[in-house]
Amino acid sequence: MSLASVKEYFAPDGTEKVLELLETYGDGALIVAGGSFVHGLDARDLLTGVEALIDIQNLGLGQITLEAAGLSIGATVTFSELRQDNEIQTATALGAVRDALNCPPLQIRNVATIGGNIAAACPYFDLPTALMSVDGVVQACGPDGTREIEMQAFFSSLFQNSLVAGEFVTGLLLPPLPGRSSSAFIKLETNANDLAIVNVAVRVSLDESGICQQARVVVGGGVAETPIRATAAETVLQGERMTDELLQSASAEVPSDLQPMSDHRASAAYRSAVAKTLTKRALARALARLD
Amino acid sequence: MTKTNVVGQSVIGPDALEKVRGGKGFPVNVNLPGMLHAKLLRSPYAHARVLNIDTSEAEKLSGVKAVLVPGDVPQIKFCPVYFVPTMAPSMIQDMLVMSETVRYAGQPVAAVAATSPEIAEQALQLIDVDYEELEAVFDTDSAMQNGAPRLHEEAENNIAKNPVFEFGDLEAGFADADHIFEGTYKTQRAHTCYMEPRVCVVDSDVDGRLTVHSSMQHMFGLREKLAFVLDLPESMVNVIKPPYIGGGFGGKLDLGYIEPVAALLSLKTEKPVRIEQTRYEDFITTTRNPIEVYLKTGIKSDGTFTARYARSTLDCGAHATHGAEVIMVHGMFGILLPYRCVNQTWEGRTVYTNNMIGGGYRGYGSPQGAFAIESQIDEICEELGLDPIEFRLKNAHKEGDPHPFNPEFTLSTYRFEDCLRQAAARIDWGQRTPAGSATGTIKRGIGFGCQALWVSGCMGFPDIYEHSGAIIKLNPDGTANLSNATVDMGSGQNVTLCQIAAEELGLQADQVRMTYADTETVPFDAPSHASRVTYSAGTAVKAAAANVKKRLLEVAGVMLETTVDDLKVQDGHVCHQGSDRKLSIAEVVKRAESPFVQMTAEGPQPTTIGEKGTIIGVASMAPPSNPSPSSVEFVEIEVDTETGVVKVLKVVFAHDIGKVINPSAAQGQVEGGFQQGMGYALMENILFDDETGACLTADFLDYKMPTAVEMPPVIDSIFIESDEPTGPFGAKSLSEPCCTVPAPAIANAIYNAVGVRVRELPITPEKILAGLGKL
Amino acid sequence: MKKSVSFEVNGQHQELAVAPSETLLQVLRDQLRLVGAKRGCDSGGCGCCTVHVDGKAVYSCMTFARSLQNCKVTTIEGLTKKDELDPLQTAFVEQGAVQCGYCTCGMIMSAKEFLSKHEQPDEDQIRHAIAGNLCRCTGYHKIVRAIKIAGQTTDLAGE
Repeated sequence: MSLASVKEYFAPDGTEKVLELLETYGDGALIVAGGSFVHGLDARDLLTGVEALIDIQNLGLGQITLEAAGLSIGATVTFSELRQDNEIQTATALGAVRDALNCPPLQIRNVATIGGNIAAACPYFDLPTALMSVDGVVQACGPDGTREIEMQAFFSSLFQNSLVAGEFVTGLLLPPLPGRSSSAFIKLETNANDLAIVNVAVRVSLDESGICQQARVVVGGGVAETPIRATAAETVLQGERMTDELLQSASAEVPSDLQPMSDHRASAAYRSAVAKTLTKRALARALARLD
Repeated sequence: MTKTNVVGQSVIGPDALEKVRGGKGFPVNVNLPGMLHAKLLRSPYAHARVLNIDTSEAEKLSGVKAVLVPGDVPQIKFCPVYFVPTMAPSMIQDMLVMSETVRYAGQPVAAVAATSPEIAEQALQLIDVDYEELEAVFDTDSAMQNGAPRLHEEAENNIAKNPVFEFGDLEAGFADADHIFEGTYKTQRAHTCYMEPRVCVVDSDVDGRLTVHSSMQHMFGLREKLAFVLDLPESMVNVIKPPYIGGGFGGKLDLGYIEPVAALLSLKTEKPVRIEQTRYEDFITTTRNPIEVYLKTGIKSDGTFTARYARSTLDCGAHATHGAEVIMVHGMFGILLPYRCVNQTWEGRTVYTNNMIGGGYRGYGSPQGAFAIESQIDEICEELGLDPIEFRLKNAHKEGDPHPFNPEFTLSTYRFEDCLRQAAARIDWGQRTPAGSATGTIKRGIGFGCQALWVSGCMGFPDIYEHSGAIIKLNPDGTANLSNATVDMGSGQNVTLCQIAAEELGLQADQVRMTYADTETVPFDAPSHASRVTYSAGTAVKAAAANVKKRLLEVAGVMLETTVDDLKVQDGHVCHQGSDRKLSIAEVVKRAESPFVQMTAEGPQPTTIGEKGTIIGVASMAPPSNPSPSSVEFVEIEVDTETGVVKVLKVVFAHDIGKVINPSAAQGQVEGGFQQGMGYALMENILFDDETGACLTADFLDYKMPTAVEMPPVIDSIFIESDEPTGPFGAKSLSEPCCTVPAPAIANAIYNAVGVRVRELPITPEKILAGLGKL
Repeated sequence: MKKSVSFEVNGQHQELAVAPSETLLQVLRDQLRLVGAKRGCDSGGCGCCTVHVDGKAVYSCMTFARSLQNCKVTTIEGLTKKDELDPLQTAFVEQGAVQCGYCTCGMIMSAKEFLSKHEQPDEDQIRHAIAGNLCRCTGYHKIVRAIKIAGQTTDLAGE
């Protein structure tokens, strides 16, 4: 990679130092951790003018802890590390996260971090879609202290997140989910080392009698500038019993919430059609996990 | 078939051992003292004139040693294709090493040599180029319209070449037909995706003599082209043969921009200059040319061809390069020759556009033809209810027929029918269900495709280099070294050629080693291309070994005081037939190379003049013929009818390649050929922005090829071993046909599964879903 | 600005001056002349540059060398101990899994980490394990077989 404009590489050991550097370099600073998407951004001219790389791997943000508030995941936890976590491996509710973590190849899983994957705000990534389905909350730190941002609000547009100047992602919280929750994620790709053409994550939370208390249908991969919730489909599921017919009619609603792109990877029409199919299959997979 | 000891074994060569420990022999590793690094500045415009280039800021940058602009470069028009002489009449000389006219996005307009690649890159940013943008044209139909921007003065309507072949009476043939079928079939740009980038290091002596290291498929072609574009005598250029290169597949079969630019920068700085292409540069350097094929076919109700008309339009991009030759090979081997038909006409058009230039790629025009022909045969059989195996056999050539290309020869070995029948049995063809009859969401289908006839090299193409050479030298320890100018790009000739030499010399495979070569020391050889090395270079190696053997026996004859006729080589020895007297090869070589007096048990013995000298054999020759291999491939696939995704489940290949020299290497060729063919069928495509012509698939994130996950779990290779009388130990050749047949086989299997016929590659899930009426 | 980074490569301590955006691949090839890791795409798409950092397979072309302070790097050159090949290296040679060989070292390094964590893996697992490594010569079949065979002889505790 070239990154011709980069003059400095900092690896500070405290949050305060990161904040100082962010203030000093402003738009010329880029937070890095695993570094696995830096080239992708650079090659697509999305990194012009970056002078300083700020490596946040020495901040102690590599912890995963299960707390009352939920599963807390530090920003520099890698895909490989999160995959090994007991809660991620076993919780039915987090099935979608488990599925999405399997997608990248070994070399990426070993270095790509959860924080970096979210902060990149790339609509073709897999994990953000999955995390949105389980109501993940982004934790950020900035000059005015820390704050929590719902994932949906975190992604603002193509490769744009809603952090303000001087802020950076420090972690992710996966809050407890109601009732009997189950989630699943499915991706359509051309080969096993691909960005998503379309990906879908769904979550259903059922009450004791099997009625859906809460549903999430999230679609990513070029169906909008960010991964988005297909709320019309969610509404169909809400308050209902999970029959095959219901899954079918919920899936049929998915395209109404999409503004898919046509590009060299797929047409808008294809993305819409496949989003519907993947939703139906993801719902079936999530429900199968409850059996 | 002759009984062999070394030939026919899955011998492993020393290269493999070196490669698993780091592979230091790749050209990318060449590192000379004081070496500079150069980078090319490439035009963002697809069609433009360079009005002015200001390099003053770049030259000021610390570490920059030289800058090159079009004005510094000899304006000699050339054709970069290695395997034909520079001024071959069939080729088109329309390229410059650096021009003030830009004809595609990415064409180089300047270069910088600096002490590091990073500084060179930085310097490029400081070069200020004034362009006058010109109207660009990106598709062949528009390019051929009157009034379209003309890319080259000589080419009216941008048609670079327009060959026509006519046999028999086409009109009468169509009049005789019971049915007429028409269709248009389109193929895309695919990249060979060699893993080692194109890279070169060029050094210059004080007298301006150049030494060249490069990742390329033809050392003599590189010498010839490089000397030509720099206006140097060939003796001023020495190309060093790399021990091996990281893939080529036809993608390193032409002079790139990098070698002449590095040479000029080296002459300017008197330092070695290295240029390594980025993957983006590789993607826009060569491609398999897209060809649109219109077919009109007349047929009797019994399935006999009565007339075939084809028109092929090839997009060669900004320069003709390989496009002038690919169109011919495509017309011949892709369209006309695989099956018999008395009345045939084919018209080809190679058309200039402002797209990237084309290149060689495994099959060289054949894959584009096979996709059209084999798809249409499937359509014909489906429509008329004919058996597609019997249909092909009815129209195919037969063993012993005159060679369709050159009637001076016969199809001496041609086991196409055995290939078809054995592969069909292996995949259980009889169990195939009617097209589209499968039920459920995921539907299975079986299909096949053939490259019934394939001929490498020169037969009928007088322009193409075909000769090969070899030097074999025996060592005092009884081993041999082989020098040959074909570059091993992964197809394994460093082993197979040694096996051929060892067989002839009665040695073990590991007693013959492929060794150093450069254009100053070894005989000329054609490139590693056109499925030719085993046959052509193998023939030369066998001849050189025979010369070695002759000399070996002469010396041994003196030593054993017997005539040569009574001697033979066996297991590393020269044996006297009729007694148990024998000498080890080592003993004979030692004696031949020894000084005046030979020490023996009986004391010092004088050596005679006649037995002195290194035992060495040389051959430089053209091969006797060009026998045809055949390739048949059946695939079983499944189609997800809700997403359009195709999964290949099982592949059965059958090949007649003559005697198999190295079964493991042959299998590897077939399995790798399928990976490329499957990628071509289903996903690979170099794409450009419609407006600017900029490449959209410049890395492996966007250019998709199959990983291990997409590959079918089963690839079954059947080799029908015919005994080709003209080949070394009965061998023919292999590499290309296995790469041409997957696309039609997969297309036909998709039709069988879901009843959707896709006539445009790649067959993406989207095209299938559209065919199913679901979009 | 270049800064000094100290880390271990194949068991040897290294202290090298490294520029801010310099990658591990550049350091290995250009400074240490360890050429087993290859540049195939320079963008984490082909896997030819795969090496281990602290036992984990990474694309060295996208690993910032400055992030390696106190890390242990292993390259293909570090896999052969006292001229004795690693079982993976032997299996690749014997199974004919090496053609042009440009992907080979990266492929072996990916397989090495995978086999250290998976006993007797099946072919499907192996195929996913090398999804981040492209090969254009072999069609992967002999590579998958070589890894499977090496997996039957590798002692998990050995690494």
